[in-house]
Amino acid sequence: MNDKNYAHPEALVSTEWVAEHLADPGVRLVESNEDILLYDTGHIQGAVHIDWRSDLQDQTVRDYITPAQFADLCSRHGISNDTTVVFYGDKSNWWACYALWAFRLFGHTKVKVMDGGRDKWVAENRHLTRAVPHFVHAKYTAPERRFDPEIRAFFEQTLAHSRDGKALIDVRSPGEFRGEVTHMPEYPQEGVLRGGHVPGAASVPWKMAVNEDSTFKSADELRRIYETEAGLKPGEDVVAYCRIGERSSHTWFVLTYLLGYKNVRNYDGSWTEWGNRVGAPIEKGG
Amino acid sequence: MAYPEKLEKIIALFESLPDSGKREALISYADSAPRQGPREGETFDLEDVRKDEECTDTVGVFLKVSPERHCQFRVTLGPQVQTLTKAMTSILSKGLDGLSPEGVMDVPADFVPRIVGADLVRQRSQTVYYILTRMKGIAKVWLNRERAGKAAAN
Repeated sequence: MNDKNYAHPEALVSTEWVAEHLADPGVRLVESNEDILLYDTGHIQGAVHIDWRSDLQDQTVRDYITPAQFADLCSRHGISNDTTVVFYGDKSNWWACYALWAFRLFGHTKVKVMDGGRDKWVAENRHLTRAVPHFVHAKYTAPERRFDPEIRAFFEQTLAHSRDGKALIDVRSPGEFRGEVTHMPEYPQEGVLRGGHVPGAASVPWKMAVNEDSTFKSADELRRIYETEAGLKPGEDVVAYCRIGERSSHTWFVLTYLLGYKNVRNYDGSWTEWGNRVGAPIEKGG
Repeated sequence: MAYPEKLEKIIALFESLPDSGKREALISYADSAPRQGPREGETFDLEDVRKDEECTDTVGVFLKVSPERHCQFRVTLGPQVQTLTKAMTSILSKGLDGLSPEGVMDVPADFVPRIVGADLVRQRSQTVYYILTRMKGIAKVWLNRERAGKAAAN
C-alpha cells in the first residue's frame, strides 16, 4: 500500500496479500460484521469470527471485556501475542476497524485491515467457505491494563475537548449532524432523545474516506478532506465520534494509520450517550 | 393469539434446536430466499417494489389472493439485504402461505425472538420485522380494495 503514501502502509493489506497468506501460521484473519449471520454464510478460508457485541463487549455494563477475557478470546482463536491479526468485514470495514480498535485497547499492535473488506473479496470472486476453522489454543498473556487513555475518549473528556475548542470530528451522516434525524438512513432509531452534534465538531462523514469499492482513498485525498476542508492540523489531538462508535473507529483508523496522527481517540459512547445525557450541550444545524 | 399452523410448525422447529442449530437453520432459510421470488408466468393482484429507509436494499412484495381468499406471497430482495431478513423472508413466505388477508393482518410479530433467539435479536436487527410489516401492508391494501369494490357494487 506504499503507492498511496500512507503514514503506516503496513497497516493495510490488499485482497491479493490475504490470498497469499491464507496458510501463514503467523497471520490470523478475523471477520467482523454488522450482519450477524454473514460469516456463517461463507467467509475467507481460515478466518475466525469475532462479534463486536458478544465477543468484545461486556454483556451487562456498556463497556469492553476485561484483559483476562480478551486473552481468553484470543487464545480460543489461536491468536498469540505475536500473531498478526488481519481484520475484514462488511459495511466497508466498519466493524473490522472497530474490532481492530478494540484489539488496540488491549495493547495488541500487530494489526492490519484488508483494504476493501469483504465486499471487495466477494466482488473479485475469491473463494469463500462455510468451514469453521478450529485452532489449537494459543498462549496469550493478558495485558496488565486496557489502553483506554491512549485511544478512547469518554463523555467528560469529550466535553472538555469541546469546551477547549479542540478538534472533534463527527463522522455521522449530514442529517444526523444537523440534528434533522437521530439515526442514519436505513437504520432503526437506537434510542436517542436529542439530535445535533457536539459543539465545535466538524462534519466529515466516514464515507468520505473510501472509494466506491470500499477501499481507502489515497493519503493525498484524505489530507484534502480532513485537513484542507475540515481544518485538522497534522499531529493535532482529535476525538472522533458517531452514534455507537463503529463508524468513528473507521475514521480513527484513517487518521491514525493512514495519515499518521498520533493522538486520536474514539469516543465510543458517541451520540447514543451524548444525545441522551442530561445537560449535555448540543449544537444544531451547520 | 395463536400463530398460523404453518408458522407455528416453523417456530416449534426452531425452539427445538440448540443455538448452533438455530443458526444453521436460519442460514438454510436465508439460502432459499432467492427462490421466494415470482415464478415465470405468475401474475399477481398487487405488486409493491420499493426501497424504504428501514431496510438496506430494495424489497419487492407480490400478492396473489385466490377466489377462496388464500394468500400467496412472493418476495424479491436486493443483494444488500441482511442475512436475518433473507431468512425471515423464506420463513414468512412459507409460514403465511394460504392465510386469508385478515389472517395475515392478525399475525403477531412476537414470534421473531422465538425463531431467531435472544442472542441474535439486536437493535440493529430490527429489519427482521420489516418483511412482516410489508406483507401486512400489501394485505391491507388488498382488503381496502376489496372493500371499495364491494361498496361500489352496492
